[in-house]
Amino acid sequence: MPAISIDTFFACSLMVLLVLSAMASTASFLYQPISSFGDEAFIRYREIAKYILLNTGEPADWGKNSQTVPEEFGLADFEAAGPYTLDVDKVSRLNGENLHALSYAQIYTSLKIPDVCFRIEIKPLFETVVNLTAIYEGEGETTYEFTVENTRSGVSVPAELRIYVVAENLLQNLGVQSSSGEIRLNVTISNDFNGPALLVVLAKSKYNTKIVSFGAYAFTHISRNPAVKDGFLRLSPLNHTLTVVLNNPDITLSEVYALTFNHSLTLEQKTSQNQHVTFTIPKLLDASPTVLVATGWNSTQFFVEWTVYPHIPAAIGISPTESLSLADVYAYTYIVTINSALYRCTLWLGGPKR
Amino acid sequence: MKNQRGQIRIIEAFLAVLIIFSSIAISASLTAGHKNMESSDLASVGLQALIKLDSDGSLGAYIDSGNWSGLRETLSLILPEGVSFNLTVYDGKMRQVNTEAVANGNPNGQEVASIKYVCVSQNPNFKYYVVYLQLAVVR
Repeated sequence: MPAISIDTFFACSLMVLLVLSAMASTASFLYQPISSFGDEAFIRYREIAKYILLNTGEPADWGKNSQTVPEEFGLADFEAAGPYTLDVDKVSRLNGENLHALSYAQIYTSLKIPDVCFRIEIKPLFETVVNLTAIYEGEGETTYEFTVENTRSGVSVPAELRIYVVAENLLQNLGVQSSSGEIRLNVTISNDFNGPALLVVLAKSKYNTKIVSFGAYAFTHISRNPAVKDGFLRLSPLNHTLTVVLNNPDITLSEVYALTFNHSLTLEQKTSQNQHVTFTIPKLLDASPTVLVATGWNSTQFFVEWTVYPHIPAAIGISPTESLSLADVYAYTYIVTINSALYRCTLWLGGPKR
Repeated sequence: MKNQRGQIRIIEAFLAVLIIFSSIAISASLTAGHKNMESSDLASVGLQALIKLDSDGSLGAYIDSGNWSGLRETLSLILPEGVSFNLTVYDGKMRQVNTEAVANGNPNGQEVASIKYVCVSQNPNFKYYVVYLQLAVVR
């Protein structure tokens, strides 16, 4: 072997050793500052998330008054007995569909942390999806076949279901049905009347009655007109009062119902002024969301519209997928109690990329 | 002249190798950092889930009645998606109480977060249980 080859071999080995040691020292030198920044940011944002859920904000009851914008932001119930219990009205004011909703700018200002952007989402622990699968027309009545699925990420959730049907001059309680995740149910409605109708399903987990969900399906009973959601009214529950805004002066309200797992009530009108009608929502000791259904007429057209109290699913803030390129975003998930029922609250918090 | 050019090319090549491998090494360390965060976050999530279940006495009620399937299904709903858990209940003398597995997978072999929680039964007869909850992210 020529001497030059041996020289080259040793030179290359030396260089490889140098490169390897340089790599190791660079990695160990940079690992500490990079990872500690990640840890610090993660811990800081987690503390902010906890602050939002464990503090009432200022004033403590800012959720109840529609005109109040909080000076300090916090979602905790000021009368709560335990941690991670959120105020039903503060949560309702996170929903953009609510007349009294806060804007992102208002929350951002009251949070008083200028270098933090955020998103807050609150939703049930499982989903209840209702679909119309078949229609059977009989003599003097029509039968509708629905499927009700209770799932979480595609996995069936066994639940007890309370079923209501609302139509013109009709509130029918179909009782409680047991579901291992998916059931088919038949609803028979008389052909004496036609027009929009609504199937409301309230679901409770078989294993924990505080884990609840809800779903609804609007359909038209022997009518060619499709059902329209939010076409005639804007329904905004807050402070145990339902504010109904009529979208035009020709609209008249018939009945407004409050439906929970164990109760169904007809609400009494409180005030009526300038197309704003208010109803009192009773305080029920029922670990269940309250589905509020309003029926009425737009000239000669009957309609059924609905909302839910607390006004969920609620979501406000940055979109985590869009902001990933702009900021370091961390997600934190908590189980929260609202009106004795359990929901999932996810907070995304982030700041400028470093 | 030609020899000098060759040496510079070799130095350039080694510098390029250094840069590439350093970036790989740094990204490897960054990934390790996120793993640590997931573990600490999992412990926090698990503890909060147990506190929430215990706040109305339902955790103690599941254990008192031996409703292990109920406890398993409830934890499956409460814990985030993609998290496997294994829960073991001991009495005051550290004897295992649960007669069947309260788990939705086997977290062994993964980075596991462990939580120890003391739960008091709401029975008139004073009883307490030590609950061990192991959590791991399913990959």
